[in-house]
Formats: sequence, C-alpha cells, structure tokens
Amino acid sequence: MKPDGKRKTRLTEMALPSLSVVIFLLAWEMLVRWRGIAPIFLPPPSSIAVYLWRMIADGTMEYHLGVTLLRIFAGFLIAAATGVALGLLMGMSRIVARVADVWIAALYPLPKISLIPLLIIWLGTGEAYRIVISAITAFFPIVISTYSGIRQADRGLIKAAQDLGANTRQIQLKVVIPAAMPSILAGLQLGMGVAFILIVAAEMIGGSSQSGMGYLLINAGQVMETEKVFACLVVLAVMGAVIIKLQQWADRKLAPWVAHDGR
Amino acid sequence: MDVVVEDVTQIWGEEPTQVVALDHFSHRFRSRRFSCLLGPSGCGKSTLIQIVGGLESATGGTVRIQYPGKEDSPRPLGADSVMVWQNLNLFPWRSVIDNVAFGLEMRGISRNERHERARALIASVGLRGFENHLPGQLSGGMRQRVALARALIMERPILLMDEPFAALDAQTKIVMQEELLRIFDQTHKTVLFVTHAIEEAILLGDEVVVMTARPGRIKEVIPVDLPRPRSLEMINSPEFGALFDRTFHLIREEVMRAMEQQAEMVAGHS
Repeated sequence: MKPDGKRKTRLTEMALPSLSVVIFLLAWEMLVRWRGIAPIFLPPPSSIAVYLWRMIADGTMEYHLGVTLLRIFAGFLIAAATGVALGLLMGMSRIVARVADVWIAALYPLPKISLIPLLIIWLGTGEAYRIVISAITAFFPIVISTYSGIRQADRGLIKAAQDLGANTRQIQLKVVIPAAMPSILAGLQLGMGVAFILIVAAEMIGGSSQSGMGYLLINAGQVMETEKVFACLVVLAVMGAVIIKLQQWADRKLAPWVAHDGR
Repeated sequence: MDVVVEDVTQIWGEEPTQVVALDHFSHRFRSRRFSCLLGPSGCGKSTLIQIVGGLESATGGTVRIQYPGKEDSPRPLGADSVMVWQNLNLFPWRSVIDNVAFGLEMRGISRNERHERARALIASVGLRGFENHLPGQLSGGMRQRVALARALIMERPILLMDEPFAALDAQTKIVMQEELLRIFDQTHKTVLFVTHAIEEAILLGDEVVVMTARPGRIKEVIPVDLPRPRSLEMINSPEFGALFDRTFHLIREEVMRAMEQQAEMVAGHS
C-alpha cells in the first residue's frame, strides 16, 4: 500500500507540470472559441500550431532561425574571446586592470541598445551592426566575471602550489585560471543571454535586413498576422531553453568539480 | 636536517592596532625528530611553520636549515620542506592522482613517470582505486591521505604540518595518527607538527614545544621519551599520564590568559 501510494505521488508530481500546460492551452482554446475573440487579437493555440507547422514545412522558420542562431554565435564568440582574454590580462597585470577598470566602469552602465543609432550611422544596417551590438553587450558580463573569478582565486590554493614548487607562471596557468573557471562559465552564460536578446532586437530595428527571427516577428506584427507572431515566440522560447540546456551540459563537462567542491 | 629558528618575531598590522604574533621565538628543531608545537589559538604556531616553510616572511629574526654536518643549506627557505595544510588545499578540479603528482608536474617530470610515482604513493596511503576521483567525491579522511601523499611525493626532508587532523572526526583522526606514526617510522623526516590537542602532541612527538598565548613565545619544551614505534595503547600508560598532566597544567594557564586577552579586547572595543 505504502510504496504504491508513494509511486502515485511521484507520478502525479511528474505529470503535473505538463498537465498544467495542457490545461492552460485547452482553457485558452475554449475561451477564444466561446467568446468569439478575433484571431488578429488572440488566435487559438490550434491555429498557431497550424501556422507554425506551415512555416516549418515551407522552410521559412528554419531559414530565419538559422540566420539568427549564426548571428548570436558570431556575436557571442567575439565577446567570449575578447572578454575572457581581457579578463585574464586584467587578473594578471595590475596596470591593465587599472586602465581597463576605468573604461568598464564608464561603459558598463550604459544601456547597450542606446548605441544602435550610432552603430547604424557607422556600420549601416547590415550584418556588421547586428553582430557588433550583440558582441559589445555580451563582452561586459564576460570580462567582469572573468576578472572577478581570477581575483577571488583561493589564496590557500595559491600558497599550496607555491609550496609545491610552482613558479608564478605555473600558478597562473595551473591554479588561478582553473579556480576562476566556474566564474568564467557563469559570465559566458550571462553573455550568451544578452547576445540572444540583442540580436533579436537588432533584427527588429533597421529594416533592411530582411532575415532573422526578429525580422520575421516584426514583419508579422506589422501586417497583423498574430498567429505568425505567436509561432515565432514559441520557436524563440524553445531555442532559448535549448541554449540554456546546452550551456548547463557544457558547464558539467568543463567544470565537473563544482558539483562537489572539496579541497 | 635541523631547523634553527632564531629570534623570530612576527608583527601584523601598523602601530596603533598592531598584533605581535610571535615574540623572539628561538628553538632548534632537531633533525629526524618529531616536534609538536602546542599552544592556545592565536599563539602564532601556524605563522611560525609558514615562516619555516618560506611562505611568510618574518618581521625579524632568521630561520636556517642545517645539514646534519651543521652546515647551512644553501637553498632558499622552503626548498627543503613541504607543508600539509589545516584545510588541505587540495585542487578541487584535479583528480587524486593529479593532485598527488602536482609537485612533480611543476618540476617538468613526464606524465608517465609522475603518474607512476603518484600511483605508488596513493597505494601506500591506502587509496588504490581512487586515482581518478575528484577530491570532492572523497570523505574527509581520504582527502587527508591525498594531502599527505601530495606532500610526501616531494621527498623533502622536512615535513610541516598545520593542525592537519583538526577537522576529522574522532575515529578517523585515530587512524590518521597511526598512519602518520607509521610513515614517520619509515621515512624519519624532520617533522614540525602544529596542534592544540595535548594527547595528539604527546602521542606523536619526540618533544612538545608549549607556546604562550599571544605574543607567542616558548613556555616550555617537554621531551617525550616514550619508545617507538608508538601505538595508541600507550595513552593508558602512567608515563603518558604524567606527561599529559604536566602539559595540561602549562596549557591551562595559557588558555586562561588567552581568554582574558580576548575579554579585554571585547571590553576595549565597546
């Protein structure tokens, strides 16, 4: 009796989250149908699904999603390479830290979106502007997390390495950088998040792009194809969830000791 | 190798709030002997062995490492010793074998050779089969063994130990003390062992250097002439009891003084 009851609660616990989604969608569907709400205002989930399927079937969704993904990764990779590199340099050289600190303090609080007009003047509305704006935005959390990870490296571990005969360079490479790894990864995760936001936002502004999820979204909105707008939102949400899962997987691969930290 | 400490003074901080951690501490720690430093918390015993290990520089005084022939070691302080830390300081991202082999890796010894030597030491401290575990996956006692192996692989004549067993539970502590006694009987290193446990100091040491409360000075050096190999049963012998009583009374005075000092500090702050 007892174990059976336990199994039942576990099953309901597992089923409840997805059940709540199904109930929500059903309620939405029924509300729209019974109250006769215009699809331009709020389409029922069933017709959103039909639109989504059509956009996938004719390749529109894959194309725009692919373009957006490429841009996110381009911006993110530039930010990751430069941000981690500068963060490491700041951690290793007091002079670099002093100088860079001023610039970071001045530029970090600036909402990066406000740079869009300037970037459009300088770079036009092409590929370069979108990638640069997302790279600039993602750069800051990455460089700040990297630097603070290096600075907060455990003094005890550094002393222990010194005692075991490590020289300054070896301490940096074999102790300080690995010790900063969890913080660097956290910075990369934040950077990826903002790169995603900025790419989609940049695709909405500067209409000449004609591609990407942001473009698709704003285009559908302008002609009141609300079903398409919802279809795009569904795809973006799924894509965001997949990226987060991938990062969590990469974290476990790159810093497996964080789960059970023992020194 | 003798560790000759002469007039070592350590002062932390600047004039109005400065703290004298060690006050003209002088002692000759004899070669191949196990010396325990015993004293109340904050008496500067950890500071002293960090100075001996070349990991802190003293405000005043000198530390020399002397060969048995009474010649000073030409190598910089720290090159003849290795430390086992109170909080172990294992590298959490390195497997057991790579933690143990760390010192060899820093010397540029090839991966195969250092792993071979590390594997032998890991087996000798009873951790065979755990080579590829991360420190975080091990129990406290096992981590302690990893830290010990990581120090022993350096093959340095002086072993500095800073309250290494303080964080262990009572049973594990006993096992590790026996393990350390066995290692000492085999390798006969010069050991400086910091502790605040009287029984541990007498059980392990050839001498117990009792320190005063802050500022740390030597209160008395108690020779321990219990025979080796030592075992835990000796705790019940009358000789052990006499040594314990003598040490206990010395330490009690100092702990009381340390508590008074702390009370004064609290009163001074309010």
